[in-house]
Amino acid sequence: MSEFKLHHLIVQLIELLGSESAPERHLEKLQKESLTANTLNTVAPHSCIQHLAKISSEPELFIQKYEELKSKKVDLLGPFVQTLELISQDEELKKYLSRSLPRATTSSLKDPTITQEDLPKICKTVIKAAVEGGKKLNQQVCSISKKSDSTSVKHNWVIERPRITWDFHSDTTVALYQKVVPIVSQESILLWDILYCLKGIDGSYIVSEPLTSPYGVKTFNISPDVGISFKQLAQQILPLASYYSMTVRFVEEKVSPDDGQVNHALRGAIRSLLKDYLLFVVQLETEHIHGKLSLQKLWFYIQPTMLTMSILSQITSTICKANARGGKVLSLLHEQTLNNVSGEAKSKELCLYLMQAASMPYMQILEKWVYKGVICDPYQEFFVEDNELIQREELPVDYSADYWEKRYTMRLERIPVFLNEHAQTILRTGKYFNVIRQCGKTVQWGKQEPLSYQYQGQKYIAAIDRAYSEAARKLLEVLMKENDLMGRLRSVKSYFLLAQGDFVVQFMNLCEAELNKSMYDIVLHRLASLLEVALRMSTADSDPYKDDLKPELLPYDLQYQMFRILSIQTRDEKEFCFQAGKVLTGLEAFVFNYDVKWPVSLIINRKAIACYQMLFRHLFYCKYVERLLCRVWISNKIAKTFTHEVAMAYRQAFSLRQRMLDCIQHLEYYMMVEVVEPNWLKFINKMSKVSNVDDVLSVHQDLQDSYLKECMLTDPDLLSCITGICAICVEFCNFMQRMSRYYIDAELTSMIGTCQEDVYEYEIENSSTAKDGTGSFEETIVSLDEKFIKVLTRLLDRICDLGCDNNNEKLLNVLCRLDFNMFYTDILIRRGREKTDAQQDISG
Amino acid sequence: MITLQLGQCGNQIGFEFWKRLCAEHGINPEGILEDYATEGMDRKDVFFYQSDDEHYIPRAVLLDLEPRVIHTIMNSPYSKLYNPENIYLSKHGGGAGNNWASGYHQGEKLQEEIFDILDREADGSDSLEGFVLCHSIAGGTGSGMGSFMLESLADRFPKKLIETYSVFPNQDEISDVVVQPYNSLLTLKRLTQCADCVVVLDNTALNRIASDRLHIQNPSFTQINKLVSTIMSVSTTTLRYPSYMNNDLVGLIAPLIPTPRLHFLMTGYTPLTTDQEGASVRKTSVLDVMRRLLQPKNMMVSTALDRNASHCYISILNIIQGEVDPTQVHKSLQRIRERKLAQFIPWGPASIQVALSRKSPYIQSTHRVSGLMLANHTNISSLFDRALQQYDKLRKREAFLEQFRKEKMFEENLDELDNSREVVEYLVKEYQAATRVDYLSWNPNKADT
Repeated sequence: MSEFKLHHLIVQLIELLGSESAPERHLEKLQKESLTANTLNTVAPHSCIQHLAKISSEPELFIQKYEELKSKKVDLLGPFVQTLELISQDEELKKYLSRSLPRATTSSLKDPTITQEDLPKICKTVIKAAVEGGKKLNQQVCSISKKSDSTSVKHNWVIERPRITWDFHSDTTVALYQKVVPIVSQESILLWDILYCLKGIDGSYIVSEPLTSPYGVKTFNISPDVGISFKQLAQQILPLASYYSMTVRFVEEKVSPDDGQVNHALRGAIRSLLKDYLLFVVQLETEHIHGKLSLQKLWFYIQPTMLTMSILSQITSTICKANARGGKVLSLLHEQTLNNVSGEAKSKELCLYLMQAASMPYMQILEKWVYKGVICDPYQEFFVEDNELIQREELPVDYSADYWEKRYTMRLERIPVFLNEHAQTILRTGKYFNVIRQCGKTVQWGKQEPLSYQYQGQKYIAAIDRAYSEAARKLLEVLMKENDLMGRLRSVKSYFLLAQGDFVVQFMNLCEAELNKSMYDIVLHRLASLLEVALRMSTADSDPYKDDLKPELLPYDLQYQMFRILSIQTRDEKEFCFQAGKVLTGLEAFVFNYDVKWPVSLIINRKAIACYQMLFRHLFYCKYVERLLCRVWISNKIAKTFTHEVAMAYRQAFSLRQRMLDCIQHLEYYMMVEVVEPNWLKFINKMSKVSNVDDVLSVHQDLQDSYLKECMLTDPDLLSCITGICAICVEFCNFMQRMSRYYIDAELTSMIGTCQEDVYEYEIENSSTAKDGTGSFEETIVSLDEKFIKVLTRLLDRICDLGCDNNNEKLLNVLCRLDFNMFYTDILIRRGREKTDAQQDISG
Repeated sequence: MITLQLGQCGNQIGFEFWKRLCAEHGINPEGILEDYATEGMDRKDVFFYQSDDEHYIPRAVLLDLEPRVIHTIMNSPYSKLYNPENIYLSKHGGGAGNNWASGYHQGEKLQEEIFDILDREADGSDSLEGFVLCHSIAGGTGSGMGSFMLESLADRFPKKLIETYSVFPNQDEISDVVVQPYNSLLTLKRLTQCADCVVVLDNTALNRIASDRLHIQNPSFTQINKLVSTIMSVSTTTLRYPSYMNNDLVGLIAPLIPTPRLHFLMTGYTPLTTDQEGASVRKTSVLDVMRRLLQPKNMMVSTALDRNASHCYISILNIIQGEVDPTQVHKSLQRIRERKLAQFIPWGPASIQVALSRKSPYIQSTHRVSGLMLANHTNISSLFDRALQQYDKLRKREAFLEQFRKEKMFEENLDELDNSREVVEYLVKEYQAATRVDYLSWNPNKADT
């Protein structure tokens, strides 16, 4: 997540909570902690639960609820409980919540005052609501997909035709068989009963009880007539029937398409096992018919089967309870496997068999993704989700940074545990291949190793890693070599960051008249043709990408743009929102735009371009001001021939001009030579080491962040100081240009007037004409001077502040150079002294 | 940018300058681009224009009243470089006889032909920023005709910049040109009033540097002119190798010249070596370069050390070439600031501006870093002061004035001389005033009364 996005979220949160603290502080804290936060426990520490249970009014209920949720494997339960604990520990927050909650939930809660004791309850309801909401959503989605898919009508035969079930169908509660049979003869009947029960059919002495919960354990009722020794044996055997019942329930239930391929595969595997089981029961029956079976023998025979079936029922019940599908099923299976690994060889084998069978479809999806970058996942099981936001055809036109982040997202809850560590790699691999494919390139595979689950010897992981490195290398090659990313970036830099100085001069020469108009009067295509001329006339001509540069006019100014991005709700921003209605001149509105083609647009995306545009506006405006000041210098050079009296009158103005020029040039020097170029070199250095596109993205993001920060754009105060300075400079230049016709008068006087009296006459005339305006020449200059010094000292102060408290000592360089001969320091000291003197005068 | 070369000295300097530019841009003496230089990121069109057949032709106008120097140029390998139409030789070829008035007068007579050339050149350049004038102020053509050219250029192109590279005579030797003080003074007036930026090249200092720093016993003109050409080429390097900043001439000189009259710049260059000298043993860090640039012995203007007056820098621009890390530059600046290695004016902000520039890839240099300083220093007034003194000596005796009286301007009176003297005197005074806090409200006339 980028810094700005995070910032935005925090601001929103703070606003919601009605807090007044500065977002920046939280941001820093969060960023520091985010490193550790990623390793959030999925299971809450025991201490948390104990603590919560202790303060809860009904500890048993709470723990019960917790266990229930845990057994359902609700996602993010751990973090949630942790959050609850944090809330319970934070008195202030509690108070705040209890204050604000009544307002929000009076309707749902009878008692508006919420005490600490109620908190667990609330959380329970919240969880319930959340879980149910999720379910409902799922159902809705399912029903929608069902409706849309009218051709294939799905039936759950077990529900529609209840009698076909193999799991104890009983519509009328069968009364227990109460026949007086002598205890000696009971064994045979009982054996039949048990054998029936093992197949899921009620017997006569043994009858199943209805289920208490859908996935509960089947229990049996044995007739009291049965002799006590037989009864005990039967009771020992009957769990097998319960296991069978559970397993069959799973097999019969997981048939709908919504359950997903993984469940189906698992079901298939279990079914084949059940077939063996039924064969086994049939064998027992034959044995019984031949009269060779006794309860003792039966107990002996079923021992190995008992174990297998217990594992099966355990697995199936967990899956059913969790209502798991896709990756989660695999996770649960994997856990089971882990639990059984130390056990018997046979049970281990069984788990592995199930795992392999169940993972097959998932691994196939994975294979397609990892080798081709295609998702073929009709039942939303795979943990990478394709949110097809944009059609491929539209890509080059309006491509946004969102694409890369949002097109493919990872659904954490769907990741199988055994792939957890590699999830990121897998996501990227597929993404890269996808991009490569969209570039029209094909990847030549020497050998595509089929992926399959293995408990040990992580062959599939090695294969994934191989695919990843191949994808990363290939995509990087496509970007860097075939699409010359660095060349593109260099070209962007030379235009947007004004590195191509002669082009900028040329462009200004040609377009200044056009850009001085109000932005609505500018004809964009005329600007475009002028731009083209400027490109051809400068050294930019040798740039192969020069034709991708386009002019553009934005209807808002830089400050507004920057504030909007930072979304800082300050007084300033409101001011600027208010101002946004004013009509901008072409200069303020002008930016370059840059056509980027896929796949370079992956890196130089809209967001990046917008960032470059802001930098461009900033630098370009400074350049423009410098140019204006230079123009004033040129028109002032006539003053060489003035008489000394006239020259003296103008000297104040000249000195002001000099200070402005000095200031602007130092700012430019700082931004261009000390910020842009060194960061660029650092960037190039980093780029030579990157190994994949995500690195490229993050390195480029770093570059832009440091540009924005060090060019003083991110600090609203600094930015407003600089714009203020520019504004005063422009005001001064306009004033001087207006005055320039008077210089000509002055020049004439000094040429004609060799005798002094004449000059004086003109001098008087001159100053009187100047007075027609707003004030005399001198007064205006003095007031401009005052303003300039004021803004500049504000800037210097701000730089001082910033330079002291965080790590941007680079900014101090500006201060140092602007005040190289302590001129401004002297002024400040002098003023300070005057002020104190004045105060002393008043007091004295 | 159009270059004008006037007189013997101007043409010799110009010749070296073009030689150097050609080498830097990879252009051979016939004006054809060398094979290795076809794809450069340099701007050849600042000083050259391209004729149809791949020839690069200097935007240069060569003017002289006597044929000797121009003939040498035309007999050199570079003869085909220049546009022959831009070479103007006075028809009678008699020269100006080291007489300012004669040069001025001849300039006046030839102005139509000369401005034909100039207008043609100006039309041929897309965005003409200004003129560069090379001349000496002592001789006849360079000073006299140069003065006339300055006046008419300022008149005809008021919005264009006029930068001059003016060679000041050697004051240690007794010149063979007896009227040199008159010539200098008259030219100085025009330089003050018409030029926008004068880069002062003091022959005294150039000779001193040649013998002290380059260890050449009797430096030839060519060797000294090489020095000059180095300065000229480096000072335009940011224009020719564009980067972030200082891509136009005005941006370069405007910050140096706060008030229009104080536009006489000193230069310094380091490290200086001759061709024969091998790899320099001295290390050249940015700080070294910047510190050495501030030492008077590296300055190309020799100024008498005036201990009484607190002379100071009005502004400094260092053009640093080579592999330079901006943080190094900053550290050096801070060091200079801490140690107060340079004194600055008290009436305004002044600092050492730095322009980082690329080097020509075609010229191998043993130095990692080299630097040129362009400085506006009040001490330059001592140079004018000396010129005034020499003038006064002659003027008192009314010596050698007959030659001047022959020309039209001085037929009736010698007011022009007195007038020039006054202008230069005020210039000196203004420079002195610039060292004081109250410079902004300084008025010589009030101060006098």
